Amino acid sequence: MICVQHLSFGYTPKQTLIEDMNFSVAQGEIFGFLGPSGAGKTTLQKILVGLLPHYGGSVQLAGQQCGRHNANFYEKIGIDFEFSTLYEKLTAAENLRFFASLYRKTSRSAGELLAAVGLQNDANKRVSDYSKGMKARLNFARALLHDPDVLFLDEPTNGLDPTNSSVMKQLILAEKAAGKTIILTTHNMQDAAELCDRVAFIVNGSIRALGTPHELVMSRGAAQVSYTYLANGAECAGSCPITALSGDELLQTLLRQNRLLSIHSSEPTLNDIFIDVTGRTLL
Amino acid sequence: MKAVATGFLGLLKAVRRDHMLLAACSAPVLAGVAFRFGVPALEAALTRWLGTGAVLAPWYGLFDLMLCMLTPVMFCFAAAMVVLEEVDSHVAAALLVTPLGRRGYLTSRLLLPTVFGMAATLVLYPLFRLLALPVWLGLLLAAGGAAQGLIIAMLVVSFSTNKLEGMAIAKLSSLLLLGAFAPYVLQQNKVQYLLVGLPSFALAKALQGQNPLWGVVSLALCAVWCAGLAKHFAAKIVY
Repeated sequence: MICVQHLSFGYTPKQTLIEDMNFSVAQGEIFGFLGPSGAGKTTLQKILVGLLPHYGGSVQLAGQQCGRHNANFYEKIGIDFEFSTLYEKLTAAENLRFFASLYRKTSRSAGELLAAVGLQNDANKRVSDYSKGMKARLNFARALLHDPDVLFLDEPTNGLDPTNSSVMKQLILAEKAAGKTIILTTHNMQDAAELCDRVAFIVNGSIRALGTPHELVMSRGAAQVSYTYLANGAECAGSCPITALSGDELLQTLLRQNRLLSIHSSEPTLNDIFIDVTGRTLL
Repeated sequence: MKAVATGFLGLLKAVRRDHMLLAACSAPVLAGVAFRFGVPALEAALTRWLGTGAVLAPWYGLFDLMLCMLTPVMFCFAAAMVVLEEVDSHVAAALLVTPLGRRGYLTSRLLLPTVFGMAATLVLYPLFRLLALPVWLGLLLAAGGAAQGLIIAMLVVSFSTNKLEGMAIAKLSSLLLLGAFAPYVLQQNKVQYLLVGLPSFALAKALQGQNPLWGVVSLALCAVWCAGLAKHFAAKIVY
């Protein structure tokens, strides 16, 4: 569905924001763009949605070069921005009606979409009276109006409470189940791990790591087993990789003598990969 | 095409919802009535009172020119304020990635208001004109006025971040229209040519001398102004 080959881009000839980037996204896949602020994620998304046509290399979406797309291009993609992109003076229903009227194909009912995001009772309320979370849900519904083949979601759970965040994730997975290709840009590693089939860590305009969340987590090394025990009346701690448990003499002794106070394993997470790859902590 | 029509309809609805913009768009009619009926009546009163042949009559061309510029300028000002609101609320970003696209957005928010401004001028001018001008000159004034409306819309969007700033920039931008006064006020004084960079000055010269060459100069100047503002404007609407 999306094929990026040797992509390079800069706003000026001397500047290189993205350099020799390669990746592809299959139909029905959820692909995550992860990376620190300023890494080039938004620039990459602008290129993919055809807003920055002057790039080097090849960027194809649904068989079209994104920089030279035809009028039909935007019938195929839907974008849920991180920020609200709605007319504040209009109601939710009026907003959806207006945006739907811009498309030739409108295969989704605004009422059903509002119900799906839990806004059916607020359909006739002005968007200016909506909370941040309600606007985020309405934004998502707007992106789905024309039943696009490719969805770009930028921080879709940002500003949502845990319940609505869970509902949003279910909706995203439902779109995937319906065969949609989804590009997810997020700082939320838990969302990425839960939703994405594959993720790409973007740092300084290049992909530093790409794979399934499980592959990336496993590539960091095995989980650690941490334990505590009493020695000379004081609580001490020890740890070893889960793959080397049988070789840890101290642990074997503690197990035989039933002297363990606690024991638990800690698997690496995408957050650890993020820190490894980017050298930064999440803000 | 459908998206452009829908986008333009959306613009008209946004203007209708905003009473200030609605008033701005109806201002040319009020000005036309005042010019057509108020100015000759005032002229008659002044000439009677002062006992002279003509007081305002030599300036009638300027009144006609202001009417021709006012209509598209107000239409384009209203469109610019809607664009500012859409940029501020990020709606512009969302519209660019719909079938409306960048070209459609510019068409519905800049080109069509300019064209409608010109069309409205062609309707209002024959109704409220003070001078009987040749048809080609009427068309030229309407086109020149519309082009200046476009410049003002681009200035307002390019250099403001919200509607309040937009109002201030619109007031400053309207100074561009003052070039029209120079040929009438300064008459034979060569100092007037200091304002030759203003399209309104060239338009006034075209009207005063009934000279199409000045009309071409005015339109060419408008093209230069628009080209100079295009980059600033484009940077404003992309998210």
